[in-house]
Amino acid sequence: MAKLQRLKRRMIRQAVQENLDTMRGVRRGRRARLGYTTLLLARIVFFVSVPAALFASTYVLSNVSSQWRQSSWPEVTQSRTPTTPRTTSSTRQEVASSVPEFSMPEPIDPAVLPLALRTVVVDPGHGGENRGTMAPAGLVEKEVTLDIAKRLRDLLVESSYRVIMTREADRDLSLRDRADLANRSRGDIFISIHVNWLENREVRGVETFYLGPTDDPYLKALAARENQDSGYSLADLRDILQQVYAGVRQEESRRLAEAVQVALFESLHEVNGTARNRGVKSAPFGVLTKTDMPAILAEVSCVSNQVEARLLMTPIYRQYLAEALFRGVESYSYSLNQAYEVGG
Amino acid sequence: MPDPIVNLGVDLGTSRSSISSSNGMRQAIESFVGWPTDLVARKVLKKEVLVGREALENRRMLDLRRPLERGLIKDGSEKDGQAVRELLQHLVSLVGLGPDRDGLKVRAVVGVPAAALRVNKQQLRNALRGIVDSLMIVSEPFAVAYGLEALVNSLIIDIGAGTCDFCILKGHYPAEDDQRTLTLAGDYVDEQLHQLIAARYSEADVSLYMVRDWKERFSFVGEAPETTEVMAPVQGRPTPFDITEEMRVACESIVPALIETMLDLISKVEPEYQESVRNNVILSGGSGLIRGLGLQLQNALEEIGGGRVRVVADPLHVGSDGGLALAMDAPESEWEKLAA
Repeated sequence: MAKLQRLKRRMIRQAVQENLDTMRGVRRGRRARLGYTTLLLARIVFFVSVPAALFASTYVLSNVSSQWRQSSWPEVTQSRTPTTPRTTSSTRQEVASSVPEFSMPEPIDPAVLPLALRTVVVDPGHGGENRGTMAPAGLVEKEVTLDIAKRLRDLLVESSYRVIMTREADRDLSLRDRADLANRSRGDIFISIHVNWLENREVRGVETFYLGPTDDPYLKALAARENQDSGYSLADLRDILQQVYAGVRQEESRRLAEAVQVALFESLHEVNGTARNRGVKSAPFGVLTKTDMPAILAEVSCVSNQVEARLLMTPIYRQYLAEALFRGVESYSYSLNQAYEVGG
Repeated sequence: MPDPIVNLGVDLGTSRSSISSSNGMRQAIESFVGWPTDLVARKVLKKEVLVGREALENRRMLDLRRPLERGLIKDGSEKDGQAVRELLQHLVSLVGLGPDRDGLKVRAVVGVPAAALRVNKQQLRNALRGIVDSLMIVSEPFAVAYGLEALVNSLIIDIGAGTCDFCILKGHYPAEDDQRTLTLAGDYVDEQLHQLIAARYSEADVSLYMVRDWKERFSFVGEAPETTEVMAPVQGRPTPFDITEEMRVACESIVPALIETMLDLISKVEPEYQESVRNNVILSGGSGLIRGLGLQLQNALEEIGGGRVRVVADPLHVGSDGGLALAMDAPESEWEKLAA
């Protein structure tokens, strides 16, 4: 019965989307399939590129692993300074240098991963004293993420998913507490919602992250910003990351990130025409480290861009964002079902 | 205190249109709209526009339109767009929602022939704008499938007057590839029957409207369930005619194309789901009531391993009931986007 209700909700949304396309004069036709095809292609690309990526990252990480013990992670975890307005080039460099590098852990058996998708943990970024980023017009990240998260929650509940919110109000919550809550709730996937702030204020768009190493200074800086108030000690993080990086959970997280990114960009491109697809990336976000399930962090818009900041102030745009995230979850869920059907 | 929202399901058909309302009312009318041709007609009829049976009965004084002829709004015809609008307005008024709605918010899901949705999407939306507060337009077979909860691995064959719509439901909103439209439908049967009767009984004075009425009462394929005898004037004198064979031939004229399309569509389904689809074929629409048609389609499925064809018992309202179910299930957040 719940499956039928979920199916109905999905079809209603697709019917509404077709009507909206008509209203906007967009010819759509095979959009839904394109999403899945894109996902399939992305998966093929992924499986081809993984060996190469692993080889490359092994090489890079082996060169930097000696720096691990000298890393200044405590500075990151102890930094509780409000982050707005956030990065200048000098602060970005300082923060980047404080992010630890990682060694390559042992692979994890794929069979340990639960793939049925029933419980979604939705994590509105920041909260309480940690306001996140802020736009000049008074837009505060912690409020925007909570609003989008609540909208996403409603959509998921309507489609018979079980939803766990890490926070329902404006309150402080460490990254560790968020992950612990997700694990206790036996979540199947974890979605952390954030809005981005970029030094180049002309740039706008969406990007989705899963946990993994990076040597991109920008991503290191971004991770450091988002990792404030993590609640983890350096030793905790080292153990956690060793368990995670080569695991299937990482692969599943990447697939989930791809599904969400495709949905985000496809949806937002229609209402926010010049938004850039900033892609799926890996980065060492603290909030993604200790969750036992596939986990992603979505930067759903750039508050540093005046146009997107204005859009973010409108409920309808936030609803679009929530729906795009929802479609990503549905797409990922659909791909799991397809795998079951094909593989028995 | 009245419910501040009324949900409507509307089936805008080529031949008949129906409406189902969350206030419990259901209505159906013939999809005819007519405007008095001159001042005299206007004075006699005392109306600017006539809709449904009233329009049909006064057709000689009217510029009469069936707005979704062959399932489409005719290209470039403002009058037909206007006729669609009048039709919907009239239907809405029939369920007690006149211009003075006392603060009620009216939301409607309107099902239209699949071909109209493909070709005239924008015109349809423009034509229907402003009559209700929020409007969702869907293809008629989808509304039928939704109402019957046949949303996965089913084949809807909706035989209306202007078109026969085929739609495979695969668990997502049907894409273009999942649908097919034939213009061999009820109107084609009417034309065939008219010609066959005229060929055999050239003395009989028979109009297309009379033929349509006979077909709706006596249509069949296969073995005749009874002798079909009708009355038609010959030089003004009512005279009985046996049209059993003409009725059978006319009705069977659409069957080969239906079977071919049905089998072809099923063959395009992923092989592991074909059996499920074969066992879940649903025959809907006014012309789906042609007696024996469901059985002939089911027999044709034997060629590819057998299956089951179900005929919808109430084709007049199955589409509008499905639309109403859709309207009631659609969450507030979705309706907000569809302000008409």
